[in-house]
Amino acid sequence: MIRSAVVALAVARKDLTSEWRTRELVPALGQFVILALVIANFGFQIDSRNAATIAPGVLWLALVFAGLVAFGRAFAAEREQSSLEAMLLTPAPAAAIFAGKALAAALLLVVCEAVLLPALSLFFGTPLSLPLVAAVLLATVGMAALGCLFAAMVARVRAREVLLPLLTLPLWIPFIVAGGQAVQVAMGAGGSYNQALGLLLDFDILFLVLTTLAARFVLDD
Amino acid sequence: MSTIVANQLTQRFGSELALDSVDLVLDAGEHLAVLGENGAGKTTLLRILATASRPSSGQLLIFGLDATRDRGRLRSRIGFVSHSPGHYPALSATENLEFFCTLQGVDRGRVADTLRLVGLGEVAFRPAGLLSRGMQQRLAIARAILHDPRLLVLDEPDASLGSDGADLLAQVMRGKTAVLATHDQALANRLCQRTMVLRKGRSLGAGTRLRVVR
Repeated sequence: MIRSAVVALAVARKDLTSEWRTRELVPALGQFVILALVIANFGFQIDSRNAATIAPGVLWLALVFAGLVAFGRAFAAEREQSSLEAMLLTPAPAAAIFAGKALAAALLLVVCEAVLLPALSLFFGTPLSLPLVAAVLLATVGMAALGCLFAAMVARVRAREVLLPLLTLPLWIPFIVAGGQAVQVAMGAGGSYNQALGLLLDFDILFLVLTTLAARFVLDD
Repeated sequence: MSTIVANQLTQRFGSELALDSVDLVLDAGEHLAVLGENGAGKTTLLRILATASRPSSGQLLIFGLDATRDRGRLRSRIGFVSHSPGHYPALSATENLEFFCTLQGVDRGRVADTLRLVGLGEVAFRPAGLLSRGMQQRLAIARAILHDPRLLVLDEPDASLGSDGADLLAQVMRGKTAVLATHDQALANRLCQRTMVLRKGRSLGAGTRLRVVR
C-alpha cells in the first residue's frame, strides 16, 4: 500500500513538474475556459433573474470539454514519448501508475477551475462560495478517474480524439447531474445541497474503486 | 538452470506472421546476438523476451518463471533497451533516472554512478529533450541497468552510440545474460558467444558465431 502511494506520488510529481516546465496544457485550458465564458456571455441574454439558472450549465460545459483535453493529453503524451511502456516494464503496480496519472490530471483541472470559477462569478454575477467550490472539486475526482481510464484505453488508437468523448461523456453524466444540482443550489436555486453532494461522493467512491480495479487490465498489454 | 527457455514462440499481428515457432535456450551469463534483415522479427522476439508483449502461442520461461503469467515478478530482473528512448524531455537525465529508481524500488544513490558509467556524468542535469540522439540512447541504457538486472534485452542499442559504443555495451553486459539485436555482424562477434539469425520470422538456426558464419 505504501509502495503504491509512493509510486503514485512520484508519477503525479513527474507529470506536474513536466507541465510546470513546458506549460503546454494549463495556459491553453485557462484560455479555453475564459473564451467559453465570453461566448456564453454573448450567446445568452443574461440578467440578474436568469444568471443562476444559466451559469451552472455554462460551468459544466466548460469543465467537461477542458477535462476531455486534460485527461486525453495525460496518456497521449506518454504514448508519443514511448515512456508509458518504460514505466509499465518496471515492477511498479499498474494501478499506482494510473492513480498518479489521474491525480496529476485532476490537479491540472483544479488549476483550470481556479481560473474558471472566479471568472464565472465575474461574468454572470453569481456568488463564489465554498459549497460551489466543494461541489466542483468532488465532481473533478470522479471525472478524473473515469477520464484517465478511457484516455489510457484509447491512447494507442489512431482515432483517440473522437473515441475519448464518445466513451467518457455518457459516464460523466451522473457527475454532471449531481454536480449541476449542487452548483444550482449553491448559486441560490432551490433543492437539497447535501443530497446532491452525497450523491457526488457516492459516485466518486464507486468510480475510484472500479477504475483502480480496471486500470491493470487497461494499461497492461 | 537456463535463464531463457523459449519453445515454439509465435507472434501474429492479424494475418501477418511476425515470429514463427522460434525455439531458444540461453544459459546464465551467455550473450546471444540476434541478426536479421529489417522485418525479420528481431524486435518482435526481443519485446516478448522483455515481457513487453505476449506471444500469440508458444511457451517462454525466464528464470524458471512463466513469462506470460509472472511478468510482474520478472520485470525487476530484466533490463530492456527498446527502439524508442522513452524519456521525459522536460526532466533532466538525473530526474529521469531518479523517477525510474522509485518505480523500480531501488536506491536513488546509484543514479550518479550509473550516469558516469554510461558517459553522461557531465550532462547529468541537462533536460533529456536537449540531449543528442546518442546521449539519449546512453540514458536509455542507464535506465535499463539502473536496477542491476540479471538479464539484459537490447534492441539495436548501438544505434547512434558513437565510436566507444561497443566498449560501453561490453561493460554493461559483463556478468549478465544478454540478448542483443543488431545489424552489425562485427559487434555481434565481439560481444556475443552465440548468434541467432532470423528471416521472415523464422529462426535459421542458433549457434556459436563460427558455426553461423559458416
